[in-house]
Amino acid sequence: RTAWRSPFPPARYKPPATETNPALEDPTPDYMNLLGMVFSMCGLMLKLKWCAWIAVYCSFISFANSRSSEDTKQMMSSFMLSISAVVMSYLQNPQPMSPPW
Amino acid sequence: MKNLYIFIAVLFIPWSFSLAKYDEFEDGDDIMEYDDNDFAEFEDVSEDTVTESPQRIITTEDDEEEATVELEGQDENQEDFDDADTQEGDTESEPYDDEEFEGYEEKPDASHSKNKDPITIVNVPAHLQNSWESYYMEILMVTGLLAYIMNYIIGKNKNNRLAHAWFNTHRELLESNFALVGDDGTNKEATSTGKLNQENEHIYNLWCSGRVCCEGMLIQLKFLKRQDLLNVLARMMRPASDQVQIKVTMNDEDMDTYVFAVGTRKALVRLQKEMQDLSEFCSDKPKSGAKYGLPDSLAILSEMGEVTEGMMDAKMIHFLTHYADKIDSVQFSDQFSGPKLMQEEGQLTKLPETKKTLLFTFNVPGSGNISPKDMESLLPLMSMVIYSIDKAKKFRLNREGKQKADKNRARVEENFLKLTHVQRQEAAQSRREEKKRAEKERIMNEEDPEKQRRLEEAALRREQKKLEKKQMKMKQIKVKAM
Repeated sequence: RTAWRSPFPPARYKPPATETNPALEDPTPDYMNLLGMVFSMCGLMLKLKWCAWIAVYCSFISFANSRSSEDTKQMMSSFMLSISAVVMSYLQNPQPMSPPW
Repeated sequence: MKNLYIFIAVLFIPWSFSLAKYDEFEDGDDIMEYDDNDFAEFEDVSEDTVTESPQRIITTEDDEEEATVELEGQDENQEDFDDADTQEGDTESEPYDDEEFEGYEEKPDASHSKNKDPITIVNVPAHLQNSWESYYMEILMVTGLLAYIMNYIIGKNKNNRLAHAWFNTHRELLESNFALVGDDGTNKEATSTGKLNQENEHIYNLWCSGRVCCEGMLIQLKFLKRQDLLNVLARMMRPASDQVQIKVTMNDEDMDTYVFAVGTRKALVRLQKEMQDLSEFCSDKPKSGAKYGLPDSLAILSEMGEVTEGMMDAKMIHFLTHYADKIDSVQFSDQFSGPKLMQEEGQLTKLPETKKTLLFTFNVPGSGNISPKDMESLLPLMSMVIYSIDKAKKFRLNREGKQKADKNRARVEENFLKLTHVQRQEAAQSRREEKKRAEKERIMNEEDPEKQRRLEEAALRREQKKLEKKQMKMKQIKVKAM
């Protein structure tokens, strides 16, 4: 049954332009990236271990939510930054982290 | 002095006990080198001897794993030990071997200080104990991370399996209705890739085209974010479903001008607020579809009654009633331009581009707890989509309907123009000013004074002409008014 077949060549796929519709995009990976960087800077500067750990979590969450068009370099850099924040906090102060309560 | 010697002697007993135990310690070693762990072995040190040197308190713990030691003032005692060490170390340690210590628990000097200060058991803070147990927060964190990674892998795989199960079920129907099934836009030739495009760990695309009347069909499988543990936990509070979104772009000549939507009441209310075309053309609230035999859960939004009548034929009603639980919304629109764009007042100068579109959103029943087999239940919905494509092509408004539709569209355009009239005027004004400025600049930049004068005169003449024209126009209008 080829009554449905179009005589013209089939149209090609065009990826939807997300630059014109920023509302359609999920902002989670960008927020988490930013949050991760802020926490890792806090952890490095103020020598707070829990900040550094939260930064690691943020960068993992950002990675899990990322779009395929997302730059892996940014993801990797935020991940490396958070890992280095954790490592530096422990090198400067090898004592275990104390819970806030 | 005598008491001091007795005290030192007593303290030496456990110390040399450690010496006897640990071969690596030499007699001449400075006490400063020994850290807390060594003194942790001193479980059986007399409590009374503590009072002799109030600065140094040795206590025991119940589980006897470690002794807790308060280190205040230890430095002073170290110096004492240094002196004593050299004098008495060798002589004192020899007679004390393991056998001597068997009776030591009885504490022969217990009588010494019964009525002295009570013992205060001090808990050494965690960071002074050097065992791995004190790092429990870190272990917790790492465990959390491992759990997150595990969930990522499991979620990703599940979404993958669901997507491929969907595709395998629908492949036959799609291939028998579309010439091109699966395209990512990168190949030079238009050949079917026969595969889904993976946009994300939870979104899969499929482009089908090559059918009469429609330009193409984009299917988006929007799964839940099973790969993100946070999302999984959030869904435990607020259940959500996987969605299949199908967008069919129609050719201009293959669809008449109407705007129509049917779906769950909640979805329609939301769409009416969000979607540009529904908010402009369908001003009424969603109406119940009970008149046509639709279940209560579904409602209808339509531009005019004639469209509803035309759309709700027997087969469509059959589809909608049977699969009502899976339908979120169905939207047919010739003025589709997506959701309303949030633009600032000054920027809106042109109507957004519209395309004739059929938009279907289906929910996968099960609120996320589904297995790949459940994707088979969506197959009849695809038949509905294909039927709708054919129907949209066939359905034509009658003369009355067409007139109403055209009026509606003209009205919307007019409203838009009115709103933006001020902006457009301003834009035109600013453009004119720019031109003038550019001209003036040119005149100023001319080095030759002769040329300058001539250009200035030319500009003046042009201005005069414009003024004359305006005056003529005003006169004409006045004459007409009269």
